[in-house]
Amino acid sequence: MELQTLQLERSGGIATITLNRPDKGNAISMLMVRELERLCRQLDDEATDRIVVFRGSGETFCSGIDLLDFPPDEKPDVRGFSRWERACRTIERLPMVTIAAIDGECAGGGMQLALTCDARVATNRSFYHLHEVRDGFLPGMGTFRLAKFIGLGRARFFGMTGRRMQAAEAEILGVIDHLCAASDLDEAVKTTVAAFGDIHPDAIELVRRLFDESFEIAYENFLGCFLAAQNRAIQTDAFKSLIKRAHEQGKTRPRSL
Amino acid sequence: MSNARAETLRPRITAVGTANPQPTYTQDEVLELFRCDDPKVRRFFESGHIHKRHLVLPEQGPDGIVPDENGTELLEKHTRISLEIGSEAIRKCLANSPYRADQLDYIAAASSTGFLCPGLTAYFIEGNGMRPNTHRTDIVGMGCNAGMNSLLTTASFAAANPGRPAMVVACEVCSAAYVFDMTVRTGVVNSLFGDGAAAALVIADEDLSATDGPQVMDFESCIVHAARDEMRFDFEEGKFSFFLGWEVPYLIGENVRTPVFDLLDRWGLKKRDISHWIVHSGGKKVIDAIKYNIGITEYDVRHTYSILRDYGNISSASFLFSLQELMKEGVTEEGDWGVVIAMGPGVSIETGLLRW
Repeated sequence: MELQTLQLERSGGIATITLNRPDKGNAISMLMVRELERLCRQLDDEATDRIVVFRGSGETFCSGIDLLDFPPDEKPDVRGFSRWERACRTIERLPMVTIAAIDGECAGGGMQLALTCDARVATNRSFYHLHEVRDGFLPGMGTFRLAKFIGLGRARFFGMTGRRMQAAEAEILGVIDHLCAASDLDEAVKTTVAAFGDIHPDAIELVRRLFDESFEIAYENFLGCFLAAQNRAIQTDAFKSLIKRAHEQGKTRPRSL
Repeated sequence: MSNARAETLRPRITAVGTANPQPTYTQDEVLELFRCDDPKVRRFFESGHIHKRHLVLPEQGPDGIVPDENGTELLEKHTRISLEIGSEAIRKCLANSPYRADQLDYIAAASSTGFLCPGLTAYFIEGNGMRPNTHRTDIVGMGCNAGMNSLLTTASFAAANPGRPAMVVACEVCSAAYVFDMTVRTGVVNSLFGDGAAAALVIADEDLSATDGPQVMDFESCIVHAARDEMRFDFEEGKFSFFLGWEVPYLIGENVRTPVFDLLDRWGLKKRDISHWIVHSGGKKVIDAIKYNIGITEYDVRHTYSILRDYGNISSASFLFSLQELMKEGVTEEGDWGVVIAMGPGVSIETGLLRW
């Protein structure tokens, strides 16, 4: 697949997707949205990678939506936003672990991209802001995701003022999972990849979905969802071989192979 | 996808009609009528996924309690109510189509809530003014998935006979398969099922397009032998008493991926290519099992849930109620793919592929 706004590198089961518009602050253009969605579908279909890492080229992660995609003389419509949200949802549902590796500015749509991932690794010079409300529009479905990370009160303040959140603060608030020095981002990504180990794709899909839905569903309904999901998980060969090892080793929690 | 497949004229479902007997009951009302105060049984009624159901229950006696019906009375009720709601569903379906009853060339009727011979089609042909030479098939004893088995025969007739209208009608009077002895076994069943009928018109006609209704493209079946006795009728004291094993939702969840993904693979489709999911409203647990095993969303099963909430599980007719909601909603576009999933005794999972 020929890519103009993204770069793809694959090695050792890790696919690294780099937002590659360095002269535009890696801003999200409509072409990038289409390429992101196409690329993620390709990775999903091929199912050869177990980790997908998103990063920005140069010293910026992503400066947000590219407003140059709105023609100046036409009535703006929401189709582009709808496409972008669909791309985010595709990323959020990839059957592999997703990691955002963030250096420098992470703004608007870029922050949304980071929040769709399973983990965020960032340099201590990275910073975060939702500038949209100050500019007179909305921070996408970041309105749906951010409060789940940092709480409603902080999300409102942060989203309405557009104030910058520095890396250290982002780590305390739970936006960043692993903070590192600017020169150590590659190493920090490796550490995070190792932390995930080998997760079964079914388990990724199910646990991610349940955590997501825990904000939306009443306990009584959620319990049934959990049992349905757990029943699927325990029918996998992975679980069956775990049980076999437990009995072989006589241990309640057997060593992995 | 092979070209030969793409070019075949496929029958379309061009109209749907549904009917229910008048009386509706909330779960609390049913518990009250049967004076049920066993918390173990009440639990099934109070789970909140069903708000009301259409049921035909006998008049209350002087003590306010619903009297017991014997096997003969239940069978009589099945025939009487089936003919009422089945005929109404057929009339409504025809009213949504350009055809009259005497133009139908084929009718398949599914029912598992009572047995009669001659079958329902003999009555429907006579009572609705169809021609005496209308081909007919009665599908009995196949339970909740029978609507799909009936659609398969109907669509096969329609595909083999372009231009000739065929009808499928699913007709279930679950209140005629009522045994309430205050046990958990009958409590599970009586808290879930409702009465209703649905009819659909199926015809292969090259002049029709997506706005007329979806094409019936393909079917895939799956029978899970290990669970054969987990959903069954037992004949006890002159009545059919339905048994539904607790494991059924999980067994269906474990097996549902096979037919669904075999069906998609055969057409070179991915799950994301499917815009519409029409899932039988079997009950909260089995819907959850399908959601988490196929990986489809709350939105995908919105009609499945709303039909469960407003009608309960109307067995073989359920998926046509959901399809009707989807067709009314007006969100389908030309080229959209849809998957139907119905499950029932066998344990059987019947799936179908639709294309608008």
